[in-house]
Amino acid sequence: MQKKKAVQTGIPGLDDILYGGVPPGAVVILEGEPGTGKTTFGMQFLVEGAVKHNEPGIYITFEELPEQIYDDMTGFGWDLRELERQNKLRVICMEPDILLEQMLQPHGLFEQIVNEIGCRRVVIDSISLFRMVGDEEDVRTNVYSIRNIMRKHTLTSFFIREYSEFEGMSMPFENYICDGIVRLSLKPLMDKYRKRTIEVLKMRGTRILEGEHTYKFIHNGVYIVPSLSMAEDKMLIRESEVLSTGIDSLDDLLAGGIPRGSVFMIDTNSKANYRYLLSSIYSQRIKDDDCTVTMMSGNTSLDTFADTIELFGVSLREAASKGKAFFIEHYRRAVESGLEKAIIRVDKVTNEEYAQVLNERLNPIFECEELCDKRWFVYYDLNTIISERGKDFLLRYFAEEMSMWRSLGITIVVHCNFAEIGTETASFLERTCNGVIRTWVDGNYQYLQVTKSPSGRVSAPHIIANVAEKPFVQLI
Amino acid sequence: MVAESDVITLQMECTLFFENNPYAIETSSGLSKRLGRSQQVTEQALNRLAEMSILEKNGQGMRAIYRYKAPYIQTEVDLNAYD
Repeated sequence: MQKKKAVQTGIPGLDDILYGGVPPGAVVILEGEPGTGKTTFGMQFLVEGAVKHNEPGIYITFEELPEQIYDDMTGFGWDLRELERQNKLRVICMEPDILLEQMLQPHGLFEQIVNEIGCRRVVIDSISLFRMVGDEEDVRTNVYSIRNIMRKHTLTSFFIREYSEFEGMSMPFENYICDGIVRLSLKPLMDKYRKRTIEVLKMRGTRILEGEHTYKFIHNGVYIVPSLSMAEDKMLIRESEVLSTGIDSLDDLLAGGIPRGSVFMIDTNSKANYRYLLSSIYSQRIKDDDCTVTMMSGNTSLDTFADTIELFGVSLREAASKGKAFFIEHYRRAVESGLEKAIIRVDKVTNEEYAQVLNERLNPIFECEELCDKRWFVYYDLNTIISERGKDFLLRYFAEEMSMWRSLGITIVVHCNFAEIGTETASFLERTCNGVIRTWVDGNYQYLQVTKSPSGRVSAPHIIANVAEKPFVQLI
Repeated sequence: MVAESDVITLQMECTLFFENNPYAIETSSGLSKRLGRSQQVTEQALNRLAEMSILEKNGQGMRAIYRYKAPYIQTEVDLNAYD
Protein backbone atom coordinates (compact mmCIF):
# COMPACT_ATOMS: atom_id res chain seq x y z
CA MET A 1 0.00 0.00 0.00
CA GLN A 2 1.36 3.41 -0.95
CA LYS A 3 2.19 5.72 1.93
CA LYS A 4 0.21 8.98 1.98
CA LYS A 5 2.23 12.11 1.34
CA ALA A 6 3.33 13.82 4.54
CA VAL A 7 1.80 17.17 5.47
CA GLN A 8 4.55 19.79 5.38
CA THR A 9 4.47 21.97 8.47
CA GLY A 10 6.21 24.91 6.82
CA ILE A 11 8.39 25.36 9.88
CA PRO A 12 11.96 25.22 8.57
CA GLY A 13 13.77 22.28 10.11
CA LEU A 14 10.69 20.54 11.53
CA ASP A 15 9.95 18.65 8.32
CA ASP A 16 13.57 17.45 8.30
CA ILE A 17 13.18 16.24 11.87
CA LEU A 18 9.99 14.42 10.81
CA TYR A 19 11.54 13.04 7.61
CA GLY A 20 9.12 14.97 5.41
CA GLY A 21 6.34 16.18 7.68
CA VAL A 22 3.36 15.09 9.75
CA PRO A 23 1.36 12.06 8.55
CA PRO A 24 -1.94 13.31 7.09
CA GLY A 25 -4.81 13.27 9.58
CA ALA A 26 -2.47 12.96 12.55
CA VAL A 27 -3.42 14.62 15.82
CA VAL A 28 -0.29 16.04 17.43
CA ILE A 29 0.11 17.57 20.88
CA LEU A 30 2.24 20.72 20.85
CA GLU A 31 3.22 21.40 24.44
CA GLY A 32 5.38 24.00 26.07
CA GLU A 33 5.83 26.51 28.83
CA PRO A 34 4.59 30.08 28.47
CA GLY A 35 6.74 32.04 26.03
CA THR A 36 7.91 29.06 23.99
CA GLY A 37 5.91 30.14 20.92
CA LYS A 38 3.15 27.55 20.78
CA THR A 39 0.74 29.98 19.12
CA THR A 40 3.33 31.02 16.54
CA PHE A 41 4.15 27.37 15.75
CA GLY A 42 0.47 26.59 15.34
CA MET A 43 -0.23 29.60 13.18
CA GLN A 44 2.85 29.04 10.99
CA PHE A 45 1.55 25.53 10.30
CA LEU A 46 -1.80 26.97 9.17
CA VAL A 47 -0.30 29.83 7.13
CA GLU A 48 1.95 27.34 5.29
CA GLY A 49 -1.07 25.22 4.41
CA ALA A 50 -3.14 28.22 3.31
CA VAL A 51 -0.46 29.99 1.28
CA LYS A 52 1.61 27.20 -0.21
CA HIS A 53 -0.48 24.05 -0.32
CA ASN A 54 -4.06 25.25 -0.80
CA GLU A 55 -4.94 23.59 2.49
CA PRO A 56 -7.21 25.97 4.42
CA GLY A 57 -7.05 25.85 8.20
CA ILE A 58 -8.92 26.74 11.37
CA TYR A 59 -7.32 28.18 14.50
CA ILE A 60 -9.56 27.72 17.54
CA THR A 61 -8.66 29.81 20.55
CA PHE A 62 -10.38 29.56 23.92
CA GLU A 63 -8.68 32.36 25.81
CA GLU A 64 -6.91 34.65 23.36
CA LEU A 65 -8.97 37.00 21.23
CA PRO A 66 -8.51 36.65 17.46
CA GLU A 67 -7.84 40.40 17.16
CA GLN A 68 -4.82 39.96 19.44
CA ILE A 69 -3.57 37.06 17.31
CA TYR A 70 -4.10 39.06 14.07
CA ASP A 71 -1.95 41.86 15.51
CA ASP A 72 0.76 39.59 16.95
CA MET A 73 1.20 37.70 13.71
CA THR A 74 1.66 40.78 11.54
CA GLY A 75 5.13 40.87 13.13
CA PHE A 76 5.98 37.81 11.03
CA GLY A 77 4.44 39.30 7.90
CA TRP A 78 1.29 37.16 8.07
CA ASP A 79 -1.90 38.98 7.10
CA LEU A 80 -4.42 36.65 8.71
CA ARG A 81 -7.43 38.85 7.94
CA GLU A 82 -6.55 38.70 4.25
CA LEU A 83 -6.30 34.90 4.43
CA GLU A 84 -9.75 34.90 6.06
CA ARG A 85 -11.10 37.06 3.23
CA GLN A 86 -9.73 34.47 0.79
CA ASN A 87 -11.49 31.71 2.77
CA LYS A 88 -8.14 30.06 3.50
CA LEU A 89 -8.22 30.59 7.25
CA ARG A 90 -10.59 31.06 10.15
CA VAL A 91 -9.49 32.27 13.57
CA ILE A 92 -12.35 31.26 15.82
CA CYS A 93 -12.79 32.05 19.48
CA MET A 94 -15.26 30.13 21.56
CA GLU A 95 -15.50 28.29 24.86
CA PRO A 96 -14.30 24.68 25.13
CA ASP A 97 -17.72 23.27 25.99
CA ILE A 98 -19.32 25.06 23.03
CA LEU A 99 -16.69 23.68 20.68
CA LEU A 100 -17.33 20.20 21.97
CA GLU A 101 -21.09 20.62 21.67
CA GLN A 102 -20.82 21.91 18.11
CA MET A 103 -18.35 19.23 17.10
CA LEU A 104 -20.55 16.42 18.35
CA GLN A 105 -23.66 17.80 16.66
CA PRO A 106 -24.29 16.53 13.10
CA HIS A 107 -24.05 19.55 10.76
CA GLY A 108 -22.99 21.63 13.77
CA LEU A 109 -21.04 24.84 13.39
CA PHE A 110 -17.69 23.09 13.34
CA GLU A 111 -18.68 20.85 10.45
CA GLN A 112 -20.22 23.81 8.65
CA ILE A 113 -17.01 25.84 8.85
CA VAL A 114 -14.87 22.86 7.83
CA ASN A 115 -17.01 22.38 4.72
CA GLU A 116 -17.30 26.12 4.06
CA ILE A 117 -13.55 26.59 3.55
CA GLY A 118 -12.54 23.01 2.70
CA CYS A 119 -10.48 22.84 5.89
CA ARG A 120 -7.46 20.49 5.97
CA ARG A 121 -5.57 21.72 9.05
CA VAL A 122 -6.69 22.60 12.58
CA VAL A 123 -5.03 24.06 15.66
CA ILE A 124 -6.81 24.03 19.04
CA ASP A 125 -5.38 26.41 21.64
CA SER A 126 -5.42 24.88 24.16
CA ILE A 127 -6.68 21.44 25.14
CA SER A 128 -5.55 22.11 28.71
CA LEU A 129 -8.82 24.01 29.10
CA PHE A 130 -10.82 20.84 28.53
CA ARG A 131 -9.74 19.92 32.04
CA MET A 132 -12.09 22.66 33.23
CA VAL A 133 -15.03 20.89 31.58
CA GLY A 134 -16.25 17.92 33.60
CA ASP A 135 -14.36 15.36 35.66
CA GLU A 136 -11.27 13.36 34.60
CA GLU A 137 -13.38 10.66 32.94
CA ASP A 138 -15.38 13.25 30.96
CA VAL A 139 -12.22 15.01 29.86
CA ARG A 140 -10.74 11.78 28.58
CA THR A 141 -13.90 10.94 26.65
CA ASN A 142 -14.11 14.45 25.24
CA VAL A 143 -10.53 14.61 24.00
CA TYR A 144 -10.92 11.11 22.57
CA SER A 145 -14.07 12.22 20.69
CA ILE A 146 -12.35 15.32 19.32
CA ARG A 147 -9.41 13.25 18.11
CA ASN A 148 -11.81 10.89 16.32
CA ILE A 149 -13.64 13.80 14.70
CA MET A 150 -10.31 15.15 13.40
CA ARG A 151 -9.45 11.73 12.00
CA LYS A 152 -12.89 11.32 10.44
CA HIS A 153 -12.40 14.53 8.45
CA THR A 154 -8.66 13.78 7.85
CA LEU A 155 -7.79 17.06 9.53
CA THR A 156 -4.11 17.24 10.40
CA SER A 157 -4.15 18.95 13.77
CA PHE A 158 -2.03 20.42 16.49
CA PHE A 159 -3.53 20.41 19.99
CA ILE A 160 -1.71 22.97 22.08
CA ARG A 161 -1.14 22.03 25.72
CA GLU A 162 0.36 24.01 28.57
CA TYR A 163 3.37 22.24 29.98
CA SER A 164 5.63 22.71 32.94
CA GLU A 165 8.51 20.54 34.16
CA PHE A 166 7.00 20.82 37.62
CA GLU A 167 3.65 19.36 36.69
CA GLY A 168 2.53 16.02 38.11
CA MET A 169 4.70 13.04 37.39
CA SER A 170 1.90 10.95 35.91
CA MET A 171 1.63 10.75 32.13
CA PRO A 172 -1.27 12.82 30.73
CA PHE A 173 -3.82 10.56 29.05
CA GLU A 174 -3.65 12.62 25.83
CA ASN A 175 -0.18 11.21 25.29
CA TYR A 176 -1.72 7.78 24.69
CA ILE A 177 -4.60 9.02 22.56
CA CYS A 178 -2.76 11.37 20.19
CA ASP A 179 -0.51 10.43 17.29
CA GLY A 180 2.36 12.71 18.15
CA ILE A 181 3.90 14.85 20.87
CA VAL A 182 6.12 17.85 20.17
CA ARG A 183 7.64 19.59 23.18
CA LEU A 184 8.94 23.17 23.21
CA SER A 185 11.27 24.16 26.06
CA LEU A 186 13.36 27.01 27.36
CA LYS A 187 16.76 25.80 28.57
CA PRO A 188 19.71 27.61 30.19
CA LEU A 189 22.56 28.47 27.82
CA MET A 190 26.04 29.59 28.92
CA ASP A 191 24.86 30.73 32.39
CA LYS A 192 23.31 34.02 31.34
CA TYR A 193 21.23 33.05 28.34
CA ARG A 194 18.29 30.87 27.48
CA LYS A 195 17.85 28.78 24.38
CA ARG A 196 14.66 27.46 22.91
CA THR A 197 14.54 23.77 22.06
CA ILE A 198 12.07 21.51 20.33
CA GLU A 199 11.88 17.75 20.70
CA VAL A 200 9.59 15.30 18.96
CA LEU A 201 8.78 12.75 21.65
CA LYS A 202 6.36 10.69 19.60
CA MET A 203 5.09 10.60 16.03
CA ARG A 204 3.19 7.63 14.71
CA GLY A 205 3.78 6.72 11.08
CA THR A 206 7.10 8.45 10.51
CA ARG A 207 10.71 8.29 11.59
CA ILE A 208 12.00 11.15 13.70
CA LEU A 209 15.35 12.79 14.14
CA GLU A 210 15.77 12.19 17.85
CA GLY A 211 16.98 14.70 20.41
CA GLU A 212 16.51 18.36 21.21
CA HIS A 213 16.87 20.87 18.42
CA THR A 214 17.37 24.59 18.85
CA TYR A 215 14.90 27.06 17.34
CA LYS A 216 14.66 30.79 17.04
CA PHE A 217 12.11 33.37 16.05
CA ILE A 218 13.20 35.16 12.91
CA HIS A 219 11.47 37.77 10.73
CA ASN A 220 9.12 35.26 9.08
CA GLY A 221 8.35 32.90 11.94
CA VAL A 222 10.00 30.02 13.73
CA TYR A 223 13.26 28.56 12.38
CA ILE A 224 14.56 25.24 13.71
CA VAL A 225 18.16 24.17 13.34
CA PRO A 226 18.19 20.38 13.57
CA SER A 227 20.86 19.33 16.05
CA LEU A 228 24.17 17.98 14.81
CA SER A 229 23.97 20.18 11.71
CA MET A 230 27.34 21.54 10.70
CA ALA A 231 28.44 23.59 7.73
CA GLU A 232 28.44 21.57 4.52
CA ASP A 233 31.53 21.00 2.42
CA LYS A 234 29.92 22.14 -0.83
CA MET A 235 32.95 21.24 -2.93
CA LEU A 236 32.81 17.63 -1.91
CA ILE A 237 29.08 17.04 -1.87
CA ARG A 238 28.81 18.73 -5.26
CA GLU A 239 30.55 15.70 -6.66
CA SER A 240 27.68 13.39 -7.44
CA GLU A 241 29.48 10.10 -6.84
CA VAL A 242 29.35 8.63 -3.39
CA LEU A 243 30.74 5.22 -2.55
CA SER A 244 28.48 2.86 -0.70
CA THR A 245 29.89 1.44 2.51
CA GLY A 246 27.88 -1.74 1.92
CA ILE A 247 25.96 -1.04 5.16
CA ASP A 248 22.65 0.60 4.25
CA SER A 249 22.09 2.20 7.63
CA LEU A 250 25.59 3.74 7.55
CA ASP A 251 25.02 5.01 4.00
CA ASP A 252 21.90 6.76 5.30
CA LEU A 253 23.94 8.54 7.97
CA LEU A 254 26.48 9.59 5.33
CA ALA A 255 23.85 10.93 2.90
CA GLY A 256 24.52 8.03 0.51
CA GLY A 257 28.05 7.00 1.32
CA ILE A 258 31.64 8.23 1.25
CA PRO A 259 32.18 10.92 -1.42
CA ARG A 260 34.77 9.84 -3.98
CA GLY A 261 38.06 11.61 -3.47
CA SER A 262 37.55 12.26 0.25
CA VAL A 263 39.50 11.13 3.31
CA PHE A 264 37.52 9.37 6.04
CA MET A 265 38.80 8.37 9.44
CA ILE A 266 37.53 5.39 11.42
CA ASP A 267 38.25 6.14 15.06
CA THR A 268 37.96 3.12 17.35
CA ASN A 269 38.64 2.50 20.99
CA SER A 270 40.62 -0.57 21.98
CA LYS A 271 37.56 -2.73 22.70
CA ALA A 272 35.63 -1.90 19.55
CA ASN A 273 35.54 -4.38 16.70
CA TYR A 274 35.85 -2.44 13.45
CA ARG A 275 36.71 -5.43 11.26
CA TYR A 276 33.27 -5.86 9.66
CA LEU A 277 32.80 -2.16 9.18
CA LEU A 278 36.10 -1.83 7.38
CA SER A 279 35.73 -5.09 5.47
CA SER A 280 32.33 -4.02 4.22
CA ILE A 281 33.65 -0.70 2.92
CA TYR A 282 36.66 -2.43 1.38
CA SER A 283 34.82 -5.32 -0.27
CA GLN A 284 32.31 -2.88 -1.74
CA ARG A 285 35.21 -1.15 -3.53
CA ILE A 286 36.39 -4.43 -5.02
CA LYS A 287 32.82 -5.29 -5.99
CA ASP A 288 32.62 -1.96 -7.85
CA ASP A 289 35.87 -2.88 -9.68
CA ASP A 290 37.98 -0.19 -7.98
CA CYS A 291 41.71 -0.73 -7.48
CA THR A 292 42.93 -0.79 -3.89
CA VAL A 293 46.03 -0.17 -1.82
CA THR A 294 46.03 -1.42 1.77
CA MET A 295 48.39 -0.74 4.61
CA MET A 296 48.38 -3.94 6.61
CA SER A 297 48.14 -3.70 10.39
CA GLY A 298 50.34 -5.61 12.79
CA ASN A 299 47.55 -7.78 14.13
CA THR A 300 46.03 -8.93 10.84
CA SER A 301 47.95 -10.91 8.28
CA LEU A 302 47.18 -10.61 4.61
CA ASP A 303 45.74 -14.11 4.51
CA THR A 304 43.36 -13.37 7.37
CA PHE A 305 42.37 -10.09 5.74
CA ALA A 306 41.72 -11.83 2.40
CA ASP A 307 39.65 -14.51 4.15
CA THR A 308 37.52 -11.86 5.86
CA ILE A 309 36.92 -10.05 2.57
CA GLU A 310 35.84 -13.34 1.04
CA LEU A 311 33.02 -13.54 3.58
CA PHE A 312 31.54 -10.56 1.70
CA GLY A 313 31.44 -12.52 -1.54
CA VAL A 314 34.46 -10.98 -3.28
CA SER A 315 37.96 -12.30 -3.83
CA LEU A 316 40.83 -10.09 -2.76
CA ARG A 317 43.24 -12.76 -4.00
CA GLU A 318 41.74 -12.58 -7.47
CA ALA A 319 41.92 -8.77 -7.46
CA ALA A 320 45.58 -8.97 -6.42
CA SER A 321 46.39 -11.52 -9.10
CA LYS A 322 44.90 -9.17 -11.70
CA GLY A 323 47.09 -6.34 -10.45
CA LYS A 324 44.18 -4.42 -8.94
CA ALA A 325 45.08 -4.75 -5.26
CA PHE A 326 48.35 -3.85 -3.51
CA PHE A 327 49.50 -4.08 0.08
CA ILE A 328 51.97 -2.02 2.10
CA GLU A 329 53.61 -4.34 4.59
CA HIS A 330 55.67 -3.22 7.61
CA TYR A 331 56.16 -6.75 8.93
CA ARG A 332 58.14 -9.65 7.57
CA ARG A 333 55.34 -12.24 7.43
CA ALA A 334 54.92 -15.20 5.16
CA VAL A 335 52.15 -14.93 2.58
CA GLU A 336 50.72 -17.14 -0.11
CA SER A 337 53.00 -17.17 -3.09
CA GLY A 338 50.32 -15.73 -5.38
CA LEU A 339 50.08 -12.55 -3.32
CA GLU A 340 53.79 -11.84 -2.99
CA LYS A 341 54.06 -9.65 -6.08
CA ALA A 342 51.24 -7.41 -4.79
CA ILE A 343 53.17 -6.57 -1.62
CA ILE A 344 55.16 -3.37 -1.18
CA ARG A 345 57.57 -4.15 1.65
CA VAL A 346 58.64 -1.20 3.77
CA ASP A 347 59.96 -3.03 6.83
CA LYS A 348 63.54 -2.03 6.11
CA VAL A 349 62.73 1.47 4.92
CA THR A 350 63.75 4.34 7.22
CA ASN A 351 61.46 7.23 8.02
CA GLU A 352 63.50 9.53 5.81
CA GLU A 353 63.15 7.17 2.85
CA TYR A 354 59.56 6.15 3.46
CA ALA A 355 57.66 8.73 1.42
CA GLN A 356 60.07 8.46 -1.46
CA VAL A 357 60.07 4.67 -1.53
CA LEU A 358 56.32 4.50 -1.34
CA ASN A 359 55.84 7.03 -4.11
CA GLU A 360 58.39 5.28 -6.32
CA ARG A 361 56.44 2.07 -5.94
CA LEU A 362 52.92 3.49 -6.04
CA ASN A 363 53.13 6.23 -8.67
CA PRO A 364 53.87 3.82 -11.54
CA ILE A 365 50.91 1.75 -10.36
CA PHE A 366 48.58 4.75 -10.20
CA GLU A 367 49.81 5.93 -13.58
CA CYS A 368 49.95 2.51 -15.25
CA GLU A 369 48.25 2.79 -18.61
CA GLU A 370 46.13 -0.24 -18.03
CA LEU A 371 44.93 1.03 -14.67
CA CYS A 372 45.06 4.81 -15.10
CA ASP A 373 41.36 5.10 -15.83
CA LYS A 374 40.62 2.99 -12.78
CA ARG A 375 39.36 4.47 -9.57
CA TRP A 376 41.54 4.00 -6.53
CA PHE A 377 40.78 3.32 -2.95
CA VAL A 378 43.40 3.40 -0.20
CA TYR A 379 43.03 1.98 3.30
CA TYR A 380 45.63 3.22 5.72
CA ASP A 381 46.25 1.87 9.22
CA LEU A 382 47.62 4.81 11.19
CA ASN A 383 48.13 2.73 14.32
CA THR A 384 50.80 0.83 12.37
CA ILE A 385 52.46 4.06 11.25
CA ILE A 386 52.52 5.34 14.85
CA SER A 387 53.86 2.11 16.31
CA GLU A 388 56.47 1.58 13.59
CA ARG A 389 57.48 5.15 12.76
CA GLY A 390 56.32 7.30 15.67
CA LYS A 391 53.84 10.08 16.20
CA ASP A 392 56.14 12.85 14.94
CA PHE A 393 56.56 11.05 11.64
CA LEU A 394 52.80 10.75 11.33
CA LEU A 395 52.28 14.46 11.90
CA ARG A 396 54.89 15.35 9.27
CA TYR A 397 53.85 12.78 6.72
CA PHE A 398 50.10 12.45 6.96
CA ALA A 399 48.77 15.80 5.72
CA GLU A 400 51.26 15.92 2.82
CA GLU A 401 50.60 12.38 1.66
CA MET A 402 46.81 12.60 1.98
CA SER A 403 46.80 15.88 0.10
CA MET A 404 48.78 14.36 -2.77
CA TRP A 405 46.59 11.27 -3.03
CA ARG A 406 43.46 13.29 -2.79
CA SER A 407 44.65 15.46 -5.67
CA LEU A 408 44.73 12.26 -7.75
CA GLY A 409 41.05 11.67 -6.91
CA ILE A 410 41.86 8.75 -4.66
CA THR A 411 39.39 7.88 -1.88
CA ILE A 412 41.09 7.16 1.42
CA VAL A 413 39.89 5.51 4.60
CA VAL A 414 42.27 5.62 7.55
CA HIS A 415 41.97 3.84 10.85
CA CYS A 416 43.19 5.19 14.15
CA ASN A 417 42.57 5.17 17.88
CA PHE A 418 42.20 8.82 18.87
CA ALA A 419 42.27 8.03 22.58
CA GLU A 420 45.77 6.53 22.30
CA ILE A 421 47.39 9.29 20.28
CA GLY A 422 46.47 12.25 22.46
CA THR A 423 44.14 15.20 21.94
CA GLU A 424 46.47 17.36 19.89
CA THR A 425 47.35 14.70 17.34
CA ALA A 426 43.74 13.52 17.18
CA SER A 427 42.59 17.06 16.56
CA PHE A 428 45.16 17.45 13.78
CA LEU A 429 44.06 14.22 12.09
CA GLU A 430 40.41 15.12 12.43
CA ARG A 431 41.05 18.46 10.77
CA THR A 432 42.86 16.77 7.88
CA CYS A 433 39.99 14.36 7.20
CA ASN A 434 36.69 15.15 5.47
CA GLY A 435 34.77 12.71 7.60
CA VAL A 436 35.10 10.84 10.89
CA ILE A 437 33.27 7.66 11.88
CA ARG A 438 33.69 6.80 15.56
CA THR A 439 32.98 3.39 17.01
CA TRP A 440 33.43 2.48 20.66
CA VAL A 441 32.30 0.06 23.31
CA ASP A 442 30.48 1.42 26.32
CA GLY A 443 28.97 -1.01 28.79
CA ASN A 444 27.21 -3.82 26.99
CA TYR A 445 27.03 -2.26 23.56
CA GLN A 446 29.22 -1.11 20.71
CA TYR A 447 28.23 2.27 19.30
CA LEU A 448 28.89 4.07 16.04
CA GLN A 449 28.55 7.77 15.33
CA VAL A 450 29.42 9.90 12.33
CA THR A 451 31.05 12.89 14.04
CA LYS A 452 32.13 14.70 10.90
CA SER A 453 30.94 14.47 7.32
CA PRO A 454 31.14 16.58 4.17
CA SER A 455 27.34 16.91 4.14
CA GLY A 456 27.58 18.71 7.48
CA ARG A 457 25.31 16.12 9.05
CA VAL A 458 26.58 14.58 12.26
CA SER A 459 24.66 11.54 13.39
CA ALA A 460 23.36 10.53 16.78
CA PRO A 461 25.16 7.52 18.31
CA HIS A 462 23.78 4.24 16.95
CA ILE A 463 24.10 0.77 18.44
CA ILE A 464 25.92 -1.76 16.26
CA ALA A 465 23.93 -4.98 16.09
CA ASN A 466 25.17 -8.25 14.63
CA VAL A 467 23.29 -9.84 11.76
CA ALA A 468 23.77 -13.29 10.32
CA GLU A 469 24.15 -12.23 6.68
CA LYS A 470 26.70 -9.88 5.13
CA PRO A 471 27.57 -7.11 5.97
CA PHE A 472 27.17 -8.84 9.37
CA VAL A 473 26.43 -5.56 11.17
CA GLN A 474 23.64 -3.03 11.14
CA LEU A 475 23.09 0.23 12.95
CA ILE A 476 20.13 0.59 15.24
CA MET B 1 -34.48 45.82 35.72
CA VAL B 2 -31.89 46.66 33.06
CA ALA B 3 -31.57 50.28 31.96
CA GLU B 4 -32.15 50.89 28.25
CA SER B 5 -28.97 52.98 28.03
CA ASP B 6 -26.95 50.03 29.36
CA VAL B 7 -28.37 47.70 26.72
CA ILE B 8 -27.55 50.22 23.95
CA THR B 9 -24.00 50.56 25.26
CA LEU B 10 -23.65 46.79 25.26
CA GLN B 11 -25.06 46.58 21.73
CA MET B 12 -22.23 48.84 20.60
CA GLU B 13 -19.62 46.87 22.51
CA CYS B 14 -20.91 43.56 21.16
CA THR B 15 -20.99 44.87 17.59
CA LEU B 16 -17.48 46.18 17.91
CA PHE B 17 -16.35 42.86 19.38
CA PHE B 18 -17.76 40.86 16.46
CA GLU B 19 -16.45 43.38 13.96
CA ASN B 20 -12.94 42.89 15.32
CA ASN B 21 -13.35 39.14 15.81
CA PRO B 22 -15.63 38.20 12.92
CA TYR B 23 -15.40 34.43 13.45
CA ALA B 24 -16.04 34.43 17.19
CA ILE B 25 -18.73 32.02 18.36
CA GLU B 26 -20.00 33.04 21.75
CA THR B 27 -22.64 32.38 24.36
CA SER B 28 -23.94 35.33 26.40
CA SER B 29 -22.05 33.97 29.37
CA GLY B 30 -18.77 33.62 27.44
CA LEU B 31 -19.00 37.06 25.86
CA SER B 32 -19.94 38.76 29.13
CA LYS B 33 -16.68 37.44 30.58
CA ARG B 34 -14.66 38.68 27.61
CA LEU B 35 -16.27 42.12 27.78
CA GLY B 36 -16.30 42.29 31.57
CA ARG B 37 -20.05 42.97 31.67
CA SER B 38 -22.98 41.33 33.42
CA GLN B 39 -24.47 38.37 31.64
CA GLN B 40 -28.01 39.69 31.91
CA VAL B 41 -27.29 42.89 29.96
CA THR B 42 -25.05 41.11 27.48
CA GLU B 43 -27.78 38.60 26.73
CA GLN B 44 -30.33 41.32 26.06
CA ALA B 45 -27.92 43.18 23.79
CA LEU B 46 -27.07 39.99 21.87
CA ASN B 47 -30.73 39.13 21.36
CA ARG B 48 -31.43 42.57 19.98
CA LEU B 49 -28.50 42.29 17.57
CA ALA B 50 -29.86 38.91 16.50
CA GLU B 51 -33.30 40.47 15.89
CA MET B 52 -31.61 43.12 13.72
CA SER B 53 -29.85 40.30 11.78
CA ILE B 54 -26.44 41.62 12.78
CA LEU B 55 -25.84 38.35 14.61
CA GLU B 56 -27.00 34.82 13.92
CA LYS B 57 -28.45 33.03 16.93
CA ASN B 58 -28.44 29.25 17.26
CA GLY B 59 -30.26 27.54 20.12
CA GLN B 60 -32.13 28.98 23.06
CA GLY B 61 -31.50 30.03 26.65
CA MET B 62 -28.09 29.84 28.27
CA ARG B 63 -26.73 27.52 25.56
CA ALA B 64 -27.71 29.84 22.69
CA ILE B 65 -24.68 30.79 20.59
CA TYR B 66 -24.17 33.94 18.59
CA ARG B 67 -21.99 34.58 15.57
CA TYR B 68 -21.48 37.55 13.33
CA LYS B 69 -23.31 37.90 10.05
CA ALA B 70 -20.70 40.06 8.38
CA PRO B 71 -22.38 42.60 6.09
CA TYR B 72 -21.56 42.30 2.40
CA ILE B 73 -19.22 45.13 1.50
CA GLN B 74 -18.07 45.81 -2.05
CA THR B 75 -14.63 47.33 -1.84
CA GLU B 76 -13.89 47.72 -5.55
CA VAL B 77 -16.13 48.96 -8.35
CA ASP B 78 -15.33 48.59 -12.02
CA LEU B 79 -16.45 51.98 -13.40
CA ASN B 80 -15.90 50.83 -16.99
CA ALA B 81 -18.90 48.54 -16.59
CA TYR B 82 -21.18 51.64 -16.48
CA ASP B 83 -19.92 53.24 -19.73
